[in-house]
Order: sequence, then C-alpha cells, then structure tokens
Amino acid sequence: MNRSPLTNALLWFVLILGTAAFIFPLWWMAVVSLETPQRAEAAITGSAGIALFPPSPQFENYATAIKETGSVPWMGFVDALANSIVVTVLVVLGTVISSSAVGYALARLRFRGRRGLFLIMLGTMMLPGQVTMIPLFLLFRQFGWIDTILPLVIPAFFGNAFFIFMYRQFIAQIPESLVEAARVDGLGHAAIWWRIILPLCRPVTAICAIFTFIGTWNDFLGPLIYLHSDESATLAVALNGFKNQYGGLEDVHLLMALSVLTMIPCIVLFIAAQKTFVEGLARGAVKG
Amino acid sequence: MATVTLRKVGKVYQGEGGRTVRAVEAVDLAIAHGEFCVLVGPSGCGKSTTLRMIAGLEDLSEGTLEIGGKRVDDLPAKDRDIAFVFQNYALYPHLTVQENIAFGLETRRAHRSALVAMCTGASAERTAESTKINARVAEVSKTLALDALLERYPRELSGGQRQRVAVGRAIARDPKVFLFDEPLSNLDARLRIETRTELRTLHRRLQATIVYVTHDQEEAMTLADRLVVMHEGKIQQNATAQECYERPANRFVAGFIGTPPMNLVDGQMESGVFTANSVSMPIAAGPFRRDCTLGVRPDRLRIVSSEQPGALSATIATIERLGDRTDLALDTAWGRLTARVDAALAHHFREGTRVGVTVDAKDTHYFERGACGVRIDGS
Repeated sequence: MNRSPLTNALLWFVLILGTAAFIFPLWWMAVVSLETPQRAEAAITGSAGIALFPPSPQFENYATAIKETGSVPWMGFVDALANSIVVTVLVVLGTVISSSAVGYALARLRFRGRRGLFLIMLGTMMLPGQVTMIPLFLLFRQFGWIDTILPLVIPAFFGNAFFIFMYRQFIAQIPESLVEAARVDGLGHAAIWWRIILPLCRPVTAICAIFTFIGTWNDFLGPLIYLHSDESATLAVALNGFKNQYGGLEDVHLLMALSVLTMIPCIVLFIAAQKTFVEGLARGAVKG
Repeated sequence: MATVTLRKVGKVYQGEGGRTVRAVEAVDLAIAHGEFCVLVGPSGCGKSTTLRMIAGLEDLSEGTLEIGGKRVDDLPAKDRDIAFVFQNYALYPHLTVQENIAFGLETRRAHRSALVAMCTGASAERTAESTKINARVAEVSKTLALDALLERYPRELSGGQRQRVAVGRAIARDPKVFLFDEPLSNLDARLRIETRTELRTLHRRLQATIVYVTHDQEEAMTLADRLVVMHEGKIQQNATAQECYERPANRFVAGFIGTPPMNLVDGQMESGVFTANSVSMPIAAGPFRRDCTLGVRPDRLRIVSSEQPGALSATIATIERLGDRTDLALDTAWGRLTARVDAALAHHFREGTRVGVTVDAKDTHYFERGACGVRIDGS
C-alpha cells in the first residue's frame, strides 16, 4: 500500500506514543529497582522527577531483595519460588488435561443432556470469582485444606469453562473421519483423546498453558486467602509480605527488584511460545 | 478374507421433533469371499450409510450383519477386523507416513501384549514385535511405491500420494474386509483413472473382499465384480456390471447406469407399434399391450434419412464431438433424445439438419411407468 510520507510519519508517531504509554510502567519499575533507597522513595512520593535512567544503577538491590524475601535470609526466596513453581506446574497440567478431555467429550460424544451441560458450563463463566470466594473457602476449610496448596491446585483438575469452550470449538473442527479412523484402528475414547486429539490441539494447548501459567504465576488473591504460613507462600504473596514487613515505602526499590525477577518467566515463556500460537497443525489432515 | 452378509438391514435416524428419517431399508446382500462389490447410487441413496454400518461406525436399526459367517452387528468397529478408507483419507496429520501405516498394527499389538510385557518385562519381545511391524510397513510401502515418502507428513504429500498412504494403512493390517468410501472422488480425473486401475490390480493380488462405495457409475462399472445399485435406501439391482447395463432391472437403473444415459420415453405399446405424444413407430416386440416406458441406449438409436418410412423424424439440436464418437441431441415428437454415433459417420451432420430415427426391437427395453418402474420381461 502506498501512503504519503506525511501519513506515514503520523502513523509512526501515534504508534510510538502508544507503545511508550504501554512500556512506561514496566520501564519505570525497572528504573526504580536500580535506584538508591532515597531516590526510589522520592520517585514514589513524587518529590523528585522521573529519571529515564538511574544515575548510578544499584545492581546489588537484586541480591538484597532475594536475601530479604520471607523471614529466613535467602531461603525465603527459594521457598516462595519453589511454591510458585509447584502450584503453577500442577495447575497448568490439570487445566490442560481436564479442559481438553471435557472439550473432547462435548465436541464428539453423543450423550443425553450434552447441550444442557454445555450451556450450564458456559453460564459459570458469567459468575464473578468473588461470588464463590466465601462458600469455596468454607468448603475447603471443611476439607481441612487451608494452608495447603490443594485449594489452588485441585480445582484446576476439574476444568476451566473458558478453555473447555476453546477446546470444544477447536475439536469440533477436526474432521470426524480422523476419530472414526482411530476407532477402526482399535482405539477407545481415552486413547483417541490422548493420541490423536491432544497432539492436534497444540495451538489451543499453547494458549491454554500460557494463559494459565501467567494467571497462576501472578495470582495474588488465591494464595493470600488459602496459604497462611510463610513457608507455603508463593512469590506473588511473598512480594506483598515484603512490603508489610517493613511498612511504608522505604524498601520500594527492593519490591521493584523482586517484581522484575517475578515477571521474567512470563515474558520468556510468552516469547518462546509465540509461534505455536498461530500454528494450525490440522492442515494436511485431509484434502486441500 | 471373508464373506459379508447383510440380512434385512435398515437404518432409521431420529430427526428433529420426533420425525424419523429412513436412510436404508431392508437391504439383503451376500458378498462372496474375494469379491469386489461396488455400491453405487446418487447422493443420499443410503450407500455410505450401508458401508458405515458394515464398518461399525453406525449402528444397525434393523437386521443382522455377518462377516466371515460370524455375527458382528453388536461388535465395535475395532473388533470386526475391517479396514476403512475414507473419502478425505483421514491420515493422522501429526504422524509421518511410516507412523500412519504402522498405527493400526501398533495399537493392536499393544492390546494383545501389554499385559504380557508388563509381567515379563519382555523388552526382547517388544523389539521383535516392532521389527515385525517395520518389516510389514516396508513391504506395504514397497507395494504402493511409498518407500521414498515414509518420513514425510501428510501435509507434505500430493492428493494421490495421500490416497496411497490411506490404502497402505488399510492393507498393512491384512483385514478380513476392505471398505472404501468414495476414495477417488478427491483426485483429478486423470489420476482417478490411474488409481482405479491400480485398485483393480491390487484387488486381484490381495484376493481381498472389498466393499466400495461411489456415486460415479463409470468407476463402479469398471471396478465391480458385483454392482449394487441403490436409490432411496433400497437396492434397485444387484448383479454384474454387464447385466446391470444390458438388462436393467427397473427404470431407475436404466437411467443411472451408462453414459450418456438411456433414452426413456413414456407411451403405449400396442401390436408392435409404440406411440408417444400421438406419434408412432413400429417396433416388432412382444405381444403385450399397455402403458409403458420405452428405453433405448444412445448408441442403439439408428440415424436414417428423414424420408425413410416408419422413422421418427428428428432435428439435430447440438453435436458433441468426442473424437472417436459423436453425441447428437435430437429434438423429436417424443422429446429430446440422445444418439451416439461413430465419428466417421458424423461428418455430414450439421446442427439443424433433419434426420430420421429408428430402433431395432432387440435394442429396446420396456419398463412400467414411474420413477422405479420395473422391467417388463418378454421385452
């Protein structure tokens, strides 16, 4: 397309402005994480201007932040990191497995009440999480699951309405004949799901896994409600503990340093999986 | 290999609002060991449903089904020992050609020996099994000239190659019966004819029982040992291709089998004279006297001079030259007729020329009136 230089310049200007607006909070977080305590506090309270680059970057802020996470030097961070990893991995696995299995059933099995169940499931997406928060808490307390990771992990193995919907729509587009060929080849439904459907659902699985990963990794409310002791806290909660422990804003540079560290896995994962997002593996399954 | 026997097989679908749709009705069919049986008919005639019932992909609503003398209509597809080749090939897109062909073999082995392997830790046995599978895949891919493609994925293959992989996957397992559901309809015309010949050769070599569904009557005739013509869920004729062509059992078969289709004219037969639209032509035929439909193959219409007594007068509407032969569309008092003549004779025909048409008694067919009017014998 041919645009005049003026239009082009204008377009670039708008795009750069937009990008800057979105990048700014992240940039600012990185800048503050490298400031001295005094300058960081001044930046927060607005008594100083915002520097685009810290005049003397304090890289040791990162080591200090890691050391001072939680109540035990060094180990507090390791605990929180391990907790985050365990919870996130289990939740991602649970969500992918259960959502794809239910999506397959809704897309391919003919059973009484299928439509009704699907609608009820979609209906649950309209419920805000806050509505079920207290009943759920009471339920999990009855189970004796408080201060364990079970309330965070077990629900994931019962599917996520949105991802079930995504899987269902995707699986419905996979030619029926592939499933029939597998039946003739001697597979039952479980094997068809595992050996045929799941490998073909890679683009959906990538989306499901990444969104679930980011959501769980960054989840603050869930762990805050269910995990009470220091040792069981996840990174997101540990970050908050940081602030409480000292109160005020004098350690805001450390808070920002740990925030930057916490964000890294999400960014890396997103960049790594970007290609799978757009990939459509079902091409070549049939004619065309 | 095995026989396939269908007895009073029917399929009824539950439609919206309690309506029922009858897709297949009272199909009786006995396919012999090693026979190439083709189900042919227009779309919606129930041929694919019948095939899918044999495969176990659809339940039978009525009747019984036997494969190799054993009743199988309650068995799931995987226990019927059949192979199915789908119209869109249904190759697993995430597996290579090698893996696609080996897939059925592996799942079967897994069923049989998983327990044994678990108990004995028999990795040696497992290796022996996978060597066997690899050998079988190699053998099959050689037969179908797929050796060079084993590492490729389905998306990297042409239509014809995918079709061969689909066939390879079927023969690898060495099933009792092969079921083909319009396997050539996604290929271009030339490749279709080539593959047709290959299938025929393959059948002769494997001595396999094959049930093959197509809507293409030419494909059906060239492939079939036995041709089963279906229409509206029922079998219209079950005979050799030659017999279906020479002695169609009813008006539907007469119109469906053969290109261009048979000329069919509604009229009355009386004392050796056939009359339609008040125009008569003497045809020495049986002594019957009734309303009927006259059928004549296009290549059996004889074009004569328009002055010949007794000839039906006709005007040539269009001329289609096909090289060795020429099709003429003729406007007559009996309606539009098609005649197929030798190209050498067609030189002096021009569109608009007036000619005469006669028919030999031995080339005529008579049917009861109506879409599926049965053959009147003695004709």
